Amino acid sequence: MAKQGKAAVTVCSTAFLTLGRAQARALGNAELPIAVIPHPFGGRTRDEVRKIAEQCAADIAKLVSGASS
Amino acid sequence: MSAVPDRAATFEAPDDFDAINRIYREKNWSDGLPVVPPTAARVDAMLKHTQRARHDMVACIAPGFGAATVERIAINAVLAGCDPEYLPVLIAATEAVADPAFNLQGIQATTNPVAVWLVVNGPIARKLQVNATFNCIGQGAWANATLGRALRLILQNIGGALPGAMDRATHGQPGKYTFCCAENEEHHPWQPLHVERGFALTDSTVTVVGAEGTMNMNTHAKDADELARVIAETMMHPPSNEYVHGGEPWFILGSEHADIFHRAGWDKARVKRELWQRSKMAVRQLSVKEIDRARASRTKEFGELSADTLLPISPSPDDIQLIVAGGPGTHSVYVPCFGNSRAATRPVRGA
Repeated sequence: MAKQGKAAVTVCSTAFLTLGRAQARALGNAELPIAVIPHPFGGRTRDEVRKIAEQCAADIAKLVSGASS
Repeated sequence: MSAVPDRAATFEAPDDFDAINRIYREKNWSDGLPVVPPTAARVDAMLKHTQRARHDMVACIAPGFGAATVERIAINAVLAGCDPEYLPVLIAATEAVADPAFNLQGIQATTNPVAVWLVVNGPIARKLQVNATFNCIGQGAWANATLGRALRLILQNIGGALPGAMDRATHGQPGKYTFCCAENEEHHPWQPLHVERGFALTDSTVTVVGAEGTMNMNTHAKDADELARVIAETMMHPPSNEYVHGGEPWFILGSEHADIFHRAGWDKARVKRELWQRSKMAVRQLSVKEIDRARASRTKEFGELSADTLLPISPSPDDIQLIVAGGPGTHSVYVPCFGNSRAATRPVRGA
């Protein structure tokens, strides 16, 4: 999508950030914006998940506006 | 895809085994064991055993999408200690892992311990002495040890799946060093795997399987019905990727167990049907989180899952895969698989 000129952001948990960065480089898009969420999140309460989601949404918005500016 | 040069890089190194191995260790180009230095002469000798051109592209290897050219496959074969005659098997195996149904991206980057198991069939297995009998997935046979190791090095060095970087396995497993055997086609009551998959008995093939591990089953049962029951009960384990996603469970039947089924008049399809039917597991045996995952994966297959739904391990009995191998003894091996993967078979050409 980024190569098509569309704003693109990937979401990775902290445990998979290394993989995400390496794979973005391998696919020729080293600058791919990645929003990072804490790992693990499976055992968290709904309130905790909501907070993570809100923070992640804000991060995505920031990354998208940064990528398109 | 990344822009990958067609030719492998060369570098000068001292003519010293220890020094060369230090370089490979520092650069993470080994699997943790000493390697055979891939000198130009050794790589050239390997390349004499294929009719394919040195820089032919065989496949792109996820997750790094490195270009697996014939030359790069040969280099990793030398590193692993392969005889030059083994190269065609590795070219076929590299083609096989790139089959979309195999899901190499998932297999390479997952937290699951999944290893790639090579099953060699046909005349090439005998010619290269790939062990199909005593200790066939253990140590001791040069071809088994080095072919499996070479594929692992291809996945790591070309595919970029370094542990802790793009290979995210939580624990991994010993089979990630090497995992290769042949099928015992001489002592086989049914059609061997490659014939079942549409090849001629005289064809040579390699099959790649995403294997989560091995579970030995030692049973002195002499009755087909009882044997099927205890094997099916071995399959049923709640923390299983296969029940969650609808998998492709594999079995290495020892000849004695295969003969018990055969003597009872069961063909391979009957064995698969019996195991599939008897290994259905009540959804309630899964954890709540796994039930959620199974709903996401398998609701299309079964409709809404209730606690009482009996969940089969795979979408159909045909997904269960059987080979016959191993020496004498009352043992067979259950090879639970990654779940989101299907084995792929390719012909070995020019061997």
